Amino acid sequence: MTRVFDRTDSSVVVVIGSGAGGGTVANELAQRGIDVVCLEAGKRLTLADVVNDPPTMDERMGWHDERDGKPVWLCKTVGGTTMRWSGVSPRFEKHETQALSTYDGLEDTSLIDWPLRFEELEHYYDLAEDKMGVSGTHGTPASAENNNYKVLKAGAQQIGYSRITSGRMSINSVSRHGRPSCRQIGFCNSGCAIGAKWSTLYTEIPAAEKTGHFELRSECMVLAINHDKAGRISGVVYRDASGTMHEQKGRAVCVAGNVVETTRILLNSATSKYPTGLANSSDQVGRNYMRHMFGFALAIMPKPVNFHRGARQSGLVYDEQDHNPKRGFAGGYLFETLSLDPLNVAAFVGGWGPGTSQYNDSYTHLAGLFLVGEDPPQADNRIRLHPDRKDHNGLPVPVLDYTDHANTTAMREHGVTRARAIYESLGAVEFWGGEGPPIGCHNLGVARMSANPEDGVTNGWGQTHDIDNLFVSDGSVIPTSGAANPTLTIVALAIRQADYIAGQMKKRNL
Amino acid sequence: MNKNTTSRRQFLVAAITVSGLATGTLATSLFRESAAWAKDPDKPLTRLAQLLFPHRALADSVYDDVVARALAMAAGDPAAQEMLLSAEQALNAQVAGSDWYLADEQTQLAAMKALQDEAFFSAARNLFMFTLYTHEECWKTIGYPGSSREYGGYLERGFDDIDWLPEAAS
Repeated sequence: MTRVFDRTDSSVVVVIGSGAGGGTVANELAQRGIDVVCLEAGKRLTLADVVNDPPTMDERMGWHDERDGKPVWLCKTVGGTTMRWSGVSPRFEKHETQALSTYDGLEDTSLIDWPLRFEELEHYYDLAEDKMGVSGTHGTPASAENNNYKVLKAGAQQIGYSRITSGRMSINSVSRHGRPSCRQIGFCNSGCAIGAKWSTLYTEIPAAEKTGHFELRSECMVLAINHDKAGRISGVVYRDASGTMHEQKGRAVCVAGNVVETTRILLNSATSKYPTGLANSSDQVGRNYMRHMFGFALAIMPKPVNFHRGARQSGLVYDEQDHNPKRGFAGGYLFETLSLDPLNVAAFVGGWGPGTSQYNDSYTHLAGLFLVGEDPPQADNRIRLHPDRKDHNGLPVPVLDYTDHANTTAMREHGVTRARAIYESLGAVEFWGGEGPPIGCHNLGVARMSANPEDGVTNGWGQTHDIDNLFVSDGSVIPTSGAANPTLTIVALAIRQADYIAGQMKKRNL
Repeated sequence: MNKNTTSRRQFLVAAITVSGLATGTLATSLFRESAAWAKDPDKPLTRLAQLLFPHRALADSVYDDVVARALAMAAGDPAAQEMLLSAEQALNAQVAGSDWYLADEQTQLAAMKALQDEAFFSAARNLFMFTLYTHEECWKTIGYPGSSREYGGYLERGFDDIDWLPEAAS
């Protein structure tokens, strides 16, 4: 029942992006009987296109357009970065949504509190977890414990941690909603070959198509958003696979370009009416860009682990997520299992010589984890447009300016020290821990929700303060990073936004 | 192909990402395009690859092939080739009266340490790291099996077979 909408049909909602935010809000709107055109820059793959070869899959689904500054690791494909994500789905803690109140006094930050009630978010977390099949919720078992998780769990227990789970993975622990359970293939970040991991490619998108209210246009790269004389959004300009330019008219637009593209689209749509870009009267578009505290640890264990067997990430430890300033930093972090292939083992450890190659010599004995934690927003950590450089689409190249806050550095040091203790408690022979190579990250901020329009870009529903029919639907709206991997929260907020948009339409406000 | 040249150079100078190299992707495809490669092993570069990532269990011939693949990736990119060439020249310049690769190991390592902050050095390192740790012989030797989809994953093949951990606390 795939619909085809006319480009002059101004009754549709245009959703830009088909990943966690865009794919979800598009489907949720379609389920409510609202007509949606979803524009996605990438191609539509099938599970048959998924191979266990990271470089090949990066070629098929990675985003390789020119960028400057800090690297990101995003996808240009139907499903967006839900094709690449690991599936780790913790919730934010309540205090993390009240960062200004909780971490008050943290210098050189632009902290704010979230402009929504946590109890309301909890309701949408329930809906998101059910949708995504988060293991250990809604009657599903926790994920099966693989070897790398068992090492993390045993070591964490040895040093006194107790809040440890192999649940909270959006990888089916039992077959559910027509998708199979995990077969422990590994290579989760190169697309799940059997569709056990939640990705909008084979959940939200086909579900939306079944409603008869949805059209996906893949290989359509959005360049800018247009407005009418009154300043309200009127359409979206994009280039299709053949290179032809079009405008899709619409009654409202939801932007979900995974932060970098969201920023570029808003800033690149500047006009005489909006000279600094759309929804940017506060000068906050692109600012408060957060990437999470990232840290990594690898240990050579005394006996075999074979951490490549099974899901790359499959469990976490919550004990350091609390806000405990005695540790020397605000906010908290999570330990999460992580396995690496030999290339990345060498890349993460860095350097050269026997000190580096010993880790791959002991490949079968490696255990590993990932540290992810609060990254306080800073106004000058920002995404902006390069003043001169244009890419092959003629678009200004995005520039990603980002520096770790001292809080982030202190938190990483703490996490690495604790990770060492976890593995040494089990007799680790060698340990490496640190920031790792410049890699991808979680992209957050840049169009944050704020109670006060001067502090951010959107209200608590992702509706821009400046333009009532322009919405932001991805991680850009998240005001402070917390420690949790963001996808679950992006999905929860997208469902909530769809409720809001549908309600506003019913009231004829949109 | 201006874009490709830029990407390749970025790869050579820096790039690594979490799961395989973003730009390494491109490098891989370039390698596939130019299957035919120089026949004779490049001894200095082979030695350099061995000292960068020493694995006793790996035969010299594997390192020869690692260098071969690296050179194939650099083929057609003058900047990348120059990087590798300048690595050889700079190493030789560190060793008075002899070629670097003929010197004793201590001398060879000292020369590498003296040059390790140079751009060409990290370029060579990144290139060899990619071609070594994606090499099927290297994988076999260190115990990494690669693709598992065709074997049905590890659900029935030991994903949870660890047996030496202390008893879990209740």
